[in-house]
Amino acid sequence: MIEVLQAGLCDLVMDLGRPGRAALGVPAGGAADRAALAAANRLVGNDPSAAGLEIILSGPRLRFPSGGVVALTGARFDAVRSSGVPVAWNETLVLAAGEALTVGRVGTGCRCWMALRGGLASPLVMGSRSTFLPAGFGGHRGRPLQAGDRQRCGAPAAEVKLGRAMPPASEAEEGLRVVAGPQIGQFDDRGLARFFGTDYRVQPASDRRGLRLAGARIGHRRVELPSQGVLPGAVQVPPDGQPIILGWDGPVTGGYPVIAGVIAADLPKLAQLKPGDAVRFVTVEIEMARALAAAPLEIRELG
Amino acid sequence: MGKQTIGQPVAGQAGWRWVTERGLRVATGETTLARYRLLVSRALPDVEDIVPADDSLLLVLKRGAALPPSVRAALIEPLDEPSGAASGTRHEIAVDYGGAAGPDLNALARQAGMSEATYIERHAATEYTVAFLGFQPGFPYLRGLPDTLQAARRASPRQRVPAGSVAIGGRYTGIYPADGPGGWHLVGRVHAALFDPQRQRPALLMPGDRVRFVPS
Repeated sequence: MIEVLQAGLCDLVMDLGRPGRAALGVPAGGAADRAALAAANRLVGNDPSAAGLEIILSGPRLRFPSGGVVALTGARFDAVRSSGVPVAWNETLVLAAGEALTVGRVGTGCRCWMALRGGLASPLVMGSRSTFLPAGFGGHRGRPLQAGDRQRCGAPAAEVKLGRAMPPASEAEEGLRVVAGPQIGQFDDRGLARFFGTDYRVQPASDRRGLRLAGARIGHRRVELPSQGVLPGAVQVPPDGQPIILGWDGPVTGGYPVIAGVIAADLPKLAQLKPGDAVRFVTVEIEMARALAAAPLEIRELG
Repeated sequence: MGKQTIGQPVAGQAGWRWVTERGLRVATGETTLARYRLLVSRALPDVEDIVPADDSLLLVLKRGAALPPSVRAALIEPLDEPSGAASGTRHEIAVDYGGAAGPDLNALARQAGMSEATYIERHAATEYTVAFLGFQPGFPYLRGLPDTLQAARRASPRQRVPAGSVAIGGRYTGIYPADGPGGWHLVGRVHAALFDPQRQRPALLMPGDRVRFVPS
């Protein structure tokens, strides 16, 4: 059981999402970095698909009336326990009854994930406990946590083996790796040169539906384009020439030309972008994108 | 961009394009629904999702998977009934047209050179087919809107469109399942719940279903 003493900017209950329902207009959603949530779950003895919290930029203050076992992964936030002791990342933490955990502001990056032993017991909606904010369902009453909320945890899946672990580190190389999109032929040489040769900045009006970018205008032929199926990572270019990278809760169909698609292996990098960050796109071949994605979601056990 | 092996059939593959390495967009034109039904009727390996859209399908592969040969074959297999019509459920949906429920009806009718009553009569006289769902969960893109009723989307979208609004967007008419922003012209409102995630069948209307609007 957790009690929300103070809510963060947008604390969302997330598991691995609800894939396979796009024909209903419902995106898969789920944790923006599945490996990070799975690693946190492993540290508390949960199944990788247990529901935890996705925390963005500034986190909540939570109380554990009967104690608990938690783990945090992803971007490091300034977080402390009731005693004032800083909270370690990628480690199993045992909290005493009545103890509180305060997740403050993020350092570098944007999002972290908190797993709780037993997993958050939000009801399953369409096969998942993930919050889907655009339609207000899933998670905790379809909305971010608020002060005063209480959430129960389920029965633990396995014994906790106190330990340290972390999801695979994203490649240090610069840039978001993309494959060429279905409408790349609609863009002129100058537009393509700008897209691949200049930095774009993440705009404040970005969320789990999409990351809005601003930078050199990407020109393209305006043709009436039928709505087509899209998925997270698709980079759309609306008539204003400013790209939008579709996110985890983005629409399942879109009517703007898709210039490129961020590869699955780099979607966790998207999860850590925040307004003001610079983005540069680099191309890779489809076969390489697949090989990178096929690597198992290995969790590194630390000493 | 996909690798083609010499000797494999390539018919129809001119319209295959990758959106990401997991998402294959397949141009399907008139046969979208028929192809969609054929694909969902098969247990296709490594396919996570299939998204019918406007004259195309998006095949979403599982992470790291390449396009399996059986899926490739199912994409070019001849169809028994290419249009895929005449197998969906029929729905009659009551609509309050005009007034506060349809604030754009008057302007649309004037633009089309007809009275509000004629616009309503023509909108309700047509049997529509659900081409696909998108934009919001349960939002149906209804095909069959008469040419004379079509209208380009609003120059600036509304911040809030009420749930149940019946709208016109280009060559489609549709229904907003939930409150939210929207750029289509609003001509009326229905009381039916288009989407409820708690229902056994969350979306009232499914691709291939047929819809008649009944003025109330």
